[in-house]
Amino acid sequence: MAEKKKIKKEKEPDITFFHPDLLEIPKEGLPYLKGYKCKKCGQLDFPKLSPCPTCWSEDFDVVPLSRKGNLYSFSDLYIGQPGLETPYICGYVDLPEEIRIFAMLKGDVNTFKCDEEVELTTGPIRKNADGLPITSYMFQKV
Amino acid sequence: MKLERDVYIAGVGETVFGKHKMDYDELGRIAAFQAIKSSNIDGPGMIGSAYVGNAHNGIVTGQTIFKDIGICGTAPIINVESACSAGAMAVHLAIKDVAYGLTELSMGVGAENHTLRRKSGTAFMPAMNDIEAVHGGVMTGKYAMRATRYMHETGATIEDLAMITQKSRRHAKNNPHAPYGGDYSIEDIIDSRMIAYPLTLHQCCGVVDGAGAVVVCSGEMIKKLGIEKPVKVRGSVVTSGPYHNRPRDITGDDITEMTSAMLYEESGIGPKDVDILELHDAFTIAELLYYECMGLCEKGDGLKFLRDGLSTYGGQCVVSPRGGMLSYGHPIGASGAAQMAANVKQLRGECNGYQVEPVPKVAMSHVTGGGLSGTEHAACTMHMLTSDW
Ligand SMILES: [Zn+2]
Repeated sequence: MAEKKKIKKEKEPDITFFHPDLLEIPKEGLPYLKGYKCKKCGQLDFPKLSPCPTCWSEDFDVVPLSRKGNLYSFSDLYIGQPGLETPYICGYVDLPEEIRIFAMLKGDVNTFKCDEEVELTTGPIRKNADGLPITSYMFQKV
Repeated sequence: MKLERDVYIAGVGETVFGKHKMDYDELGRIAAFQAIKSSNIDGPGMIGSAYVGNAHNGIVTGQTIFKDIGICGTAPIINVESACSAGAMAVHLAIKDVAYGLTELSMGVGAENHTLRRKSGTAFMPAMNDIEAVHGGVMTGKYAMRATRYMHETGATIEDLAMITQKSRRHAKNNPHAPYGGDYSIEDIIDSRMIAYPLTLHQCCGVVDGAGAVVVCSGEMIKKLGIEKPVKVRGSVVTSGPYHNRPRDITGDDITEMTSAMLYEESGIGPKDVDILELHDAFTIAELLYYECMGLCEKGDGLKFLRDGLSTYGGQCVVSPRGGMLSYGHPIGASGAAQMAANVKQLRGECNGYQVEPVPKVAMSHVTGGGLSGTEHAACTMHMLTSDW
């Protein structure tokens, strides 16, 4: 009887980069957010909505979104989610493509203002189950 | 929802809100049994269906609450979840059963115990399949950003926001159900711990436990029960929040504007005719925005409405006469049902020490639910009640 080899299943590592559907960090050049443009009706969304809620098409073109936008509003958070270090800052950034992005802001508390220009950057937004920082998009002052 | 026939509220119940050693089921049972007794119901066989709102306490919450009340086995019990809107949604579904002739008498209950299970000093943990939640989003932050923008656009100050807390907690001073009632100075409020700029601790609803319950029935049943002060349901609306990731005005609130417009249409009662209002004042800024969203005043006049005393006792519409969520705290699944219980007691003139005078005839309630990304709120439930005697 052939000996059954016990294959040890390797534990899949928890993510350290938050979702390739959202953010591209090229080897050369600057990171950008990925918009999804519906091939049928032309609606542009971030994050990707599938099917397209307007026409139910499931085909999209990936469109790099503008890297700069307007900080519509923000808040310095002193009590945050369980497990997140405080204070941290969150904000809504409006891109010229008429898309609003909720993101953490890189910078100091008491320094942001509504309607100032901010630009895309990347950074650690939280820790994964293995205790490693998860990288995602953030915005900072230009 | 179009009401196919008249629906009345026979009785209501609410527990004292606060940190309880009693779990949600015991709290829910206390409120439910109060509502049953105040409805002159003489046995479990009369209850045709029951709906129970809860957010965090697990599964089969309704059956757990009702097992002692004797309707397990005789009536369908359906559990309802939509975050903060759950309790009011449960009442809505009870109304629907009666309005469409499925039952003669039904119950809606909201019950929640947070403090037995939760570590203090952090915000609620949102769902990790929500893109804003993954990026640090919390409800306090969402409301704080509305406040930041409102202050930016109107020149309002933190002191202005603090006036909302001051008013509501003054309303609750003599309300034995509200743990945070009392006289607070503006300094007390703005000097309390910063939670999410510009919202300080006293501008945020407390994390507490509690329950509320409402018994609804048909016109024939309300006579049979011999209820002296029947409260008529004039409108009951549940909506889901419009979803899109596009810029929108967060000093407004699309779902509240939509839901209140539907309620006014359904009830035939306009915003200027509402005597009292319990709304989703989980944070000071919300109340200020909702004056405008619900049409109590013109867009941009919210602060003036507050300063002119139009939202307090003696004003055009007493907002949060029970003290609101800012004085009760906000057990998520319970609040919507408890708001309605408080409104019914006001209409009946039963609020010794915090009764609105003259006794109100028209009462509205409003409770949103959930911070799903791409929406202002995932759900909104509103009710219009009038005295009918
Ligand atoms: Zn489409």
